[in-house]
Amino acid sequence: MSFLNSYIYYIGAFGLILIGLYIILVKHNLIKVIIGLGILDTGVNLFLISVGYITKGTAPIFSRPGIDYENMVDPVPQALVLTAIVIGVAVLALALSLAIRLYQHYGTLNLRKTREQKW
Amino acid sequence: MVNPVLLIVIPLGLAFAIPLFALFWKGAAKYTPPVALGFNLVVSLLLLPKALENPVVVSIGGWQPPFAINLVAGPVGVLFSVIIALVGFLVSIYALDYIKEVATEKYHMLYLLLLTGATGVVLTGDIFNLFVFFEILCISSYALVAYLRDKAGIESAVKYLIQGAVGSSLLLIGIGLLYGQFGTLNMADIAEKIASASPISLFVPMVLIITGLGVEAAIFPLNAWLPDAHSSAPSSISAILSGIAIEVGLYAVARVIFTIFGASGILPFLALLGILTLLVGEMCAFSQNNIKRMLAYSSIGQIGLILFALAIATSYGVTGGLFQLISHTLGKALLFLAAGYMIYQTGSMEISALEGMDKKMPLTCLAFTIGVFSLVGLPPFIGFPSKFLIVRAALATKETIFIVLIGLALLGTVIEGAYFFRVVQVLYFKGEKPNPGRKEAPIIALVPMLILTTLIIVIGIYPRLITGVLNSAASELLNRVEYIRSVLG
Repeated sequence: MSFLNSYIYYIGAFGLILIGLYIILVKHNLIKVIIGLGILDTGVNLFLISVGYITKGTAPIFSRPGIDYENMVDPVPQALVLTAIVIGVAVLALALSLAIRLYQHYGTLNLRKTREQKW
Repeated sequence: MVNPVLLIVIPLGLAFAIPLFALFWKGAAKYTPPVALGFNLVVSLLLLPKALENPVVVSIGGWQPPFAINLVAGPVGVLFSVIIALVGFLVSIYALDYIKEVATEKYHMLYLLLLTGATGVVLTGDIFNLFVFFEILCISSYALVAYLRDKAGIESAVKYLIQGAVGSSLLLIGIGLLYGQFGTLNMADIAEKIASASPISLFVPMVLIITGLGVEAAIFPLNAWLPDAHSSAPSSISAILSGIAIEVGLYAVARVIFTIFGASGILPFLALLGILTLLVGEMCAFSQNNIKRMLAYSSIGQIGLILFALAIATSYGVTGGLFQLISHTLGKALLFLAAGYMIYQTGSMEISALEGMDKKMPLTCLAFTIGVFSLVGLPPFIGFPSKFLIVRAALATKETIFIVLIGLALLGTVIEGAYFFRVVQVLYFKGEKPNPGRKEAPIIALVPMLILTTLIIVIGIYPRLITGVLNSAASELLNRVEYIRSVLG
């Protein structure tokens, strides 16, 4: 159990990443693929957060006297995740707007049927 | 004192100001990119002599390097920012007339953002910052591929977006793993601490980062998006995607391998991948009837050759690789720009539709032909010294693998010659149509083509003009100890 306790966030994060990749690789519906991208993003963000997380840690602000910096969580990954979330939102928004256009052109969101460009 | 921060801040600020300018005067949108990029070109050229002496390191926020986000304007960074600004400037002049349809403000804004992202990637010294600028580049190029809103463009943009988003997620996981091990994001700091880590724990982040960057750099198994995206984008964007976006991806791969990881064990594998990319690209290009798809596949081939040259990892090899990179940027940008107006005139992308174009658009055809000759590697154009350097570097290693691979690369060049000369033959010698009368591309589009042509010929005749810069750039890439010292002091 101690293994699970110390690595549970990493297991969760990589679980989400693998689920996201699976959806992207297997599903044919563009909306589902975009959902897969969202899950993949979430997994990556969770992974980044857990890199800097300390159990029972406090926020890295010297808000009151007597706070020990040893118990603070690392603020850098949180800043990274904030940026990564914004980027993820931009990508998802663009993907959804492209999905609308794709539907207007083809009348379907099935990626198997929207293949006019070939090698 | 010229500050490298200006190279990023000015275009970024102007990009977001474009919609505001357009409120007052519609025409402002299209004149902003040339102004911003012209400014960048001047600043980069002013910065170049200083960067050649000593890398200019700028820490943001007054903190000292491992803690601050810093910009490192060394020879490589400034060389790339000169190329980006130069080609971006010329293409933005071309676009003044070429882009007429749909929402032109959005086009110019995204275009400027794309080039800001590219400049940021080559100048930054912080690996997460590199990821952010990379995303700026990628997201604006997804949107620009779909700019014409036609069937092909939307479909390619969807493909490009899905592959690119997965790639950047992998890159971010790799960066997270590195941060977990070393507790720093500064590239020089990671490079310094990496010697103490076990090779096994470095392997996974390295593979993830190279795979993530490899999607954008179009290295062979990861380049399925490229021919679609490059052929369905507007021609001015194809020129930028082919001439700058994938080169910036390759720069990032080279920076990660040489500077951060110092991984020499992976180089023969990359050389092999490079040659595979080259052969796949050239063979697919050979069977194309669509001119823009052909040029796109040819870009894959050229990227393979550059990757191979960088993977030789001797001073000659990296110099040759960077030289080839410049020659490809100038040549491919010229070809896409020339092809853009030919397609505009004929209304078709089929190569057979270009018959007898030499009568109709003699100057554009001449520019196209010079671009073709340069890419194939004929003297006296820039492609000749660059390919020559690569061959010499491969032979000088005296290692069987590189000599065999350069043989294959030359085979690829022969295929390249075959399909490119077929187009030239169609342009000049096919079709006995009556003279349709001259209908040349507008002068504002001819000027950038003329400047690119001049550069191709002048550098081809006097390669010494740039070999000095290339040599110091190559030594910056190869000498990681020096890089660490100049950043961390």
